[in-house]
Amino acid sequence: MALSTPASDTSLPTPGGAAPAALPSTRAVRGSSLYRDAWRRLLRNKLAVAGGVTVILLCLIAIFADFLAPFSYTKPNFGRLNEFPSREFPLGTDQLGRDQLSRIIYGARVSMLVGLGSQIIVLAIGVPIGLISGYVGGRVDLVVTRFVDVMYAFPRLLFVILVMSMLGAGLTNIFIAIGLTGWVGISRQTRAQVLSIKEKEFVEGAKSLGAGFWRVVSRHVLPSALTPIVVSVTFGIPEAIFYEAALSFIGVGINPPTPSWGQMVGENQQFLRSYWHLCVFPSIAIAVTMLSFTFFGDGVRDALDPKMK
Amino acid sequence: MRIPDEQLNLMAARLDAIGVGRRDFLKVVGAMAAFGGLGFVTTAQAAKPSKPGPGEKLAKDQTFRWGGGGWNANDPSSHDFNKDLYCGGAQGLFAGLMVFNADFVSVPWMASKVESNKDGSVWNFTMRKDTRWSDNSPVTARDFEWSWKRQLDPANAAPYASFLYDIKNAEAFNKKQLTDGSQVGVKAKDDWTLEVTLEGPRGYFPVLAAYLAALPAHRGAVEKHGDKWTEAGNIVTNGPFTLEAWEHNKQVVLRKNPYYYGAKDVHLTRVVMPIIPVASGALPYENNELDMTALQAGDLNRLRNDPRSSKDVFKYPFPGTWYLLPQTTKPPFDNVKVRRAVGHAIDRENIVKVSQGLAIPAWSMIPPGFPGALDDPKIKAIQKYDKKLAIEQLKGTPFEGGKNWPKITLSMRDEGLGSKPLAEAVQAVLLDSLNMKTELEVLEPRVFRERLWKQDLQFVWIRWFMDYPDPHNEYFDTFYGKKTSGKRQAWVNDAFDKELEAGRDTRDPAKRLEHYKKAEEIMQTDVGYVPVAWVLRYAAKKPWVGGVEKNKQGEFVVDGNIYVDMFQHLYMLERG
Repeated sequence: MALSTPASDTSLPTPGGAAPAALPSTRAVRGSSLYRDAWRRLLRNKLAVAGGVTVILLCLIAIFADFLAPFSYTKPNFGRLNEFPSREFPLGTDQLGRDQLSRIIYGARVSMLVGLGSQIIVLAIGVPIGLISGYVGGRVDLVVTRFVDVMYAFPRLLFVILVMSMLGAGLTNIFIAIGLTGWVGISRQTRAQVLSIKEKEFVEGAKSLGAGFWRVVSRHVLPSALTPIVVSVTFGIPEAIFYEAALSFIGVGINPPTPSWGQMVGENQQFLRSYWHLCVFPSIAIAVTMLSFTFFGDGVRDALDPKMK
Repeated sequence: MRIPDEQLNLMAARLDAIGVGRRDFLKVVGAMAAFGGLGFVTTAQAAKPSKPGPGEKLAKDQTFRWGGGGWNANDPSSHDFNKDLYCGGAQGLFAGLMVFNADFVSVPWMASKVESNKDGSVWNFTMRKDTRWSDNSPVTARDFEWSWKRQLDPANAAPYASFLYDIKNAEAFNKKQLTDGSQVGVKAKDDWTLEVTLEGPRGYFPVLAAYLAALPAHRGAVEKHGDKWTEAGNIVTNGPFTLEAWEHNKQVVLRKNPYYYGAKDVHLTRVVMPIIPVASGALPYENNELDMTALQAGDLNRLRNDPRSSKDVFKYPFPGTWYLLPQTTKPPFDNVKVRRAVGHAIDRENIVKVSQGLAIPAWSMIPPGFPGALDDPKIKAIQKYDKKLAIEQLKGTPFEGGKNWPKITLSMRDEGLGSKPLAEAVQAVLLDSLNMKTELEVLEPRVFRERLWKQDLQFVWIRWFMDYPDPHNEYFDTFYGKKTSGKRQAWVNDAFDKELEAGRDTRDPAKRLEHYKKAEEIMQTDVGYVPVAWVLRYAAKKPWVGGVEKNKQGEFVVDGNIYVDMFQHLYMLERG
């Protein structure tokens, strides 16, 4: 009771109460900022909130895998192979008698690392190239854009597989492979934004006030071009996770014994009829992750740019 | 006819050069060893027709549906065995001069008589006159002369042409050192006699003549349709079957060839071979869409434990050994103590559980039941699993107590066959016994083989499928230190090599086995390899499938690379 009283105080307008009446008005004033507006729109989107919460949960699972996992992900139990879900092993055991739940929990770590890590590489390559190409323009733009077009023409998964077969399997190499092939989209979007922004008056103003190239780009152009970049990243993360799963599925991704969801599905799909749990649970993990990121990404996009709806 | 050792070695060298060699082909030479050097029967003794047993009633529909679980997993690149023995085409379409029976002995097929001169350097094949191509034209010696020259013609770039290099001038012709094809030593003296002149005495030639690579092609069809000659509408065959339909990536359908001499004894009228990925497992079989299928892990246990299908499951001969190669040139395995520790750390009993019935613990190269198999407690003890003993071996090394391990990569070939779970189990026991962390690297087969033969891999998970049941294959062909090509390991041991040479050169079977036993002991003590598991292979057939041939050990034999004579023996029974 003691807890619920203050809550009801703030949410329900009490007759003659000044404070609750003041809240909406402050909100309206601050709401003029783009990001605060977007935040409000995001919170109103239930799917996006659900997605966002799941994403945060997944991140927490990835970070605290060592504490959350009931068993080691490497330790086999040769007496209890391929067991179906039970109280002791809620998601069953795999072909080596390892706890499937623990492996899925550690698998989240790989997925999140790949998702975030590869996007850092994507940003580091894609944004500067797009910025320079769009802002400098002229011959530089022409050369860079053609190069980007060529890169864009490659079927991405094939290109990733090619890079992986050159670098060899492993987590770092997956970062590199996905990063090297994924920057193209983001650089195109950045360039398009920059092209329109650099003609705007405030950029003109900054230049006439004597701001140098770096200052104009970093303080005026880039912040204004940020919206599509953020959206692109929120979609890039699940895409990268999916690529990792696909690579591990076909066996060129993560090396055992490190668990990866894609690898678990790939290795066990042939046992679908004998031991369904080996394949179904990691598939669900991939599906849930992809869905949450996609919902969240959709929400972010709608929130940041309501016109696109 | 007994074949001298130097000729056998010559054949091994020949096959080695092809690179596909021993594993896939030399099985057949096994016949020579197992049957006292008699790899073939040269009198007319074509494979016997099969007959339903008493009380068995033939079904009206004699259609046999075959595949799944790894069989026919990919669309054939063609059915042109004459040009590419690994085309993956359907068996039963073409008939060679000779054929392997269920014991892998070469017996005459399209030939009715085989004779050689005294030293075995010239062979005469007399053709049978009662058999015809599926277009009703006679099968003559000229067909074989033309086909073998077609394979050797450099213009056709047949990938495994070197298979026929035993024929006089064949190599020179194939390598464009000789342009005149008529100088190649294969000649039809008339329609019914094929004379083959070889580079020298080759007692094993009838064995080569029975292999896939020596199958004929139909000249008319090839000349008319070029590369498309094995499409269903174009192909002309001389085997028990002909191609009714080939729906690419879907299925291959065979129909009985009425012009085949034994057609009246062939029961099957159709053979349907759907192209099914391994991942489908035994599902098509259980749904009654197939009459016979190979079994992968998981399915094997389920079908065996299901009363409806437990009687369908059978084991078929497929001897093979899974083992570890610690590369003696790379740290930490350059230290024999570390290698010994690994040998004692391998918990074989537990590792094989992972295979779900497709492997048993191995303590030597040769699986039980095959010539040279060792059942000696002394051998078993050399690398027996003992965690304490394992960690004790590390005393005095930098890795004492399972510490300071460098980065260790365990490499394996990308393949099914339950190989990866076994490798992961090996990783797990090494971590458990020696605290040895390993990373498992699965390499594309071509890359794997290349790096393996350069002895570039630090730690290898690998198998050897027996080519022929003689210890010479399991030791000499695999581990001989003076091998110049296809050598898998850097490990060399002179005492070991001497035993192998003695084994090769000794005639008395009992004394030979003593040499191989000594060799095994040396190799295990010095840890040139670590035996882990022996392979088992299973298939399932419906109760209404009859006529599957058995070998001398009483095991069912199914179509593979050597034995390709299954279809013409099968019959379908009425389903009770």
